[in-house]
Amino acid sequence: MTIIKTVFAGLVGAVGLGAAALAQDFPAKPVTIIVPFSAGGGTDITTRILAGPMAEALGAEVVVKNTDGAGGTIGAAETARAKADGYTIGMIPVGPMTTQPHLRQLPYEPASFDYICQAYSAPSALVVRQDSPFETLGDMLAYAKENPGELNYGVQAVGSIPHVAGLGLASASGAEFTFIPYKGSAPTFKAMLDGSIDMFVAHISFLTQNSDQVRSLAMLTSERVLTAEDLPTATDQGIPMNFPIWGGLVAPKGIPAEAKAALERACEVGMNSEAFTARMGELRMPVAFMGGDAFEAFVQSEFDKNDKLLTEAGIKQ
Amino acid sequence: MDFFSLGLEHVLTMPALISIVIGTILGVAVGVLPGLGSVIGITMILPFTFSMEQIPALALMLGVYCGSVYGGSISAIVINTPGTPQAAATALDGFPMAQRGEADLAIGWATMASTIGGLFSVGVLIIAAPQLAAFSLNFTAIEYFALGVFALICIANVSRGAMSKGLLAGGIGLFLATVGVDHVTGDMRFTFGSFEMTAGISLIPAIVGLFALSEVFIRASESTQVKTVIAHKVGFRLPPFSEWRPRLWLLLKSCMIGSFIGALPGTGAATSSFIAYSEAKRSAPNRDKLGTGEPDGIIASESANNAVTGSAMVPTLALGIPGDPVTAVMLGSFIVHGLAPGPRLFTEHLDLVYAVFLILIAVNLVMFVVGALGAQLFTRALRIPEPLLMTMVVVIAIVGAYGVRGNPLDLVTAFIAGVGGFILRKAGFPLAPLVIGMVLSQMIENSLRQGLLLTRGSFLAFFERPITLSLFILTAMMLIWPVIRWLRSRKKEA
Repeated sequence: MTIIKTVFAGLVGAVGLGAAALAQDFPAKPVTIIVPFSAGGGTDITTRILAGPMAEALGAEVVVKNTDGAGGTIGAAETARAKADGYTIGMIPVGPMTTQPHLRQLPYEPASFDYICQAYSAPSALVVRQDSPFETLGDMLAYAKENPGELNYGVQAVGSIPHVAGLGLASASGAEFTFIPYKGSAPTFKAMLDGSIDMFVAHISFLTQNSDQVRSLAMLTSERVLTAEDLPTATDQGIPMNFPIWGGLVAPKGIPAEAKAALERACEVGMNSEAFTARMGELRMPVAFMGGDAFEAFVQSEFDKNDKLLTEAGIKQ
Repeated sequence: MDFFSLGLEHVLTMPALISIVIGTILGVAVGVLPGLGSVIGITMILPFTFSMEQIPALALMLGVYCGSVYGGSISAIVINTPGTPQAAATALDGFPMAQRGEADLAIGWATMASTIGGLFSVGVLIIAAPQLAAFSLNFTAIEYFALGVFALICIANVSRGAMSKGLLAGGIGLFLATVGVDHVTGDMRFTFGSFEMTAGISLIPAIVGLFALSEVFIRASESTQVKTVIAHKVGFRLPPFSEWRPRLWLLLKSCMIGSFIGALPGTGAATSSFIAYSEAKRSAPNRDKLGTGEPDGIIASESANNAVTGSAMVPTLALGIPGDPVTAVMLGSFIVHGLAPGPRLFTEHLDLVYAVFLILIAVNLVMFVVGALGAQLFTRALRIPEPLLMTMVVVIAIVGAYGVRGNPLDLVTAFIAGVGGFILRKAGFPLAPLVIGMVLSQMIENSLRQGLLLTRGSFLAFFERPITLSLFILTAMMLIWPVIRWLRSRKKEA
């Protein structure tokens, strides 16, 4: 029925009631969510799980489109450049939103978007192999200070949050690591298992799925994670750190207020749906809805924090 | 045995069996269409798998995966355009066979080799998954570098007769893949200030342009009057066993190469089929005829690329590390279904592991049937009037080029690659080395630089590692081999 309705509404719109009529009745056609990474990755899967219940709440189809490339910036730029009618939005994660703009000239910045909602925020963890000699963050840091640069710290991409977190850890503790960039999370994980690297930062669902091969030295959060109360945080161990891996829905700047409100509501309903919460629970991911305005302020604060860290590390261009 | 019967129970349900058949048909179809490859096929069905039960979802994905790796060979044979990068080596001998009017036989060889390669790798997966996974952990960035250098020799081997042009084409390929993000420093290279170029030159649009569009341009540039009409046999013809017998060792060796490469995360079917082809060029019974429409070439390429499918599941299932982009998507779907791959899978969910084995076996058998029936249809494409066929190729190529990442720049890439491919072919440059260069470029460069970071800048430390050293020695031997053979033959004559 929904499809028929959508098609019908689309036709009515097309024959001549024009843009005004469309804006009054959002959504009148399918909504496309751009995912700036390839299918099957964490961002993609979360988006696809959310797309179902969101479509139900919106009463329109939701299509997920993967635009992969250059660390997510191609898809983020496509979102920023899309027609500002609310029918094309993007699930843009922390990297392309708050670290990549500091690394090079991009055709967008946080001010290029309207903010709909934060859709996920996964606590990150500093992980080591199951058989690593280090039991606590303190053990590892003491060793790293005695042997500067000897420990290898793998990063999934230069300037990514796991990299920024490592820079933050080095600057907060005075320890020195050798950073080794791999291309994505699978090769980084492989490098850990083959003994090339001693540690890397991953998000909690990775830790949950691979708990027989890796363990967490410290959750990089300011408070204990609700879904993983047993795991000590870096803050507990004397190094205050908070590096969530988050993402949210944004639209090109200037979408109609009605469309923004409808999307924000659908996002909230979708995130509270049984389908979404159950899936997140399995991965020990906290469900972290945040409305558009709060999300916008949060993005700006993260943007400034990462700016500072990347500048200190001399990575910012 | 208990787990085995449990696994069998999982697979012998209507939804699972239907998924196997549909998945395989769909896989062959996306494989045949240039541009639409394994990754797109898997991505297309991904949303459906979310709402399916675990086993049918797995069956659907494995069907698409194996089917697509095989399907690429059909377009390579019929229209000289590898449907997927994995089948680029198949075109080298498949198309010349089709030009002789033996497309039916070429597809027969390819189908048989693919099925055997696929089944062989399932055997490898069943017998040695945990051991092979453990072995793959001996491969750090340093070993990958050595393997990449070894694989580069293929360029020399597939361009015999036009060596300098082949090396040049290989160099162009290596260079093209450096456009975009430098993964070690995060800097941009050769983007000329264009933001779109930061995404780099994607392999699939480049292949679509190089092969499909350039083929169209070539045919358009040839006079239609002088062409002799070839009587194309339609359908599917299996070569008799007497033809197979002298080639069994080649088949086995190619299967082993494919299975070994597949088990290493991060290397894929394209690399393995080129290495196998290259090895065939060195040692196959009819090596001197390779490149002129010799079944040995089809066997080597197709058995090796399908032998990747089963063994790529080794690191995926046993370690939770995807072997290639396709298994990466599959891994994502496993996780959605609450299945956590890794060593625990083999202790806690052995029934599911057996189900995967059985599905893979079934898929490879279905693939054979789909190939045999589908060949009736595909070979008829050769009888479509050329202007119509070429128009269809252009449309499919454009859709495929855009479909990969939805980046409009990819269309420009495909067109430029088409013109470039046309010029290169007219000037007598082989195209396969260019593809090899593009496939290997990032692996070689990134692993070299990661390796140097690991050894703190010492290249000498590379030689202290046994696997790396052996690969370097093997590379040197492969390079000297032609010289030795030449010297020997001179001695005989003298």
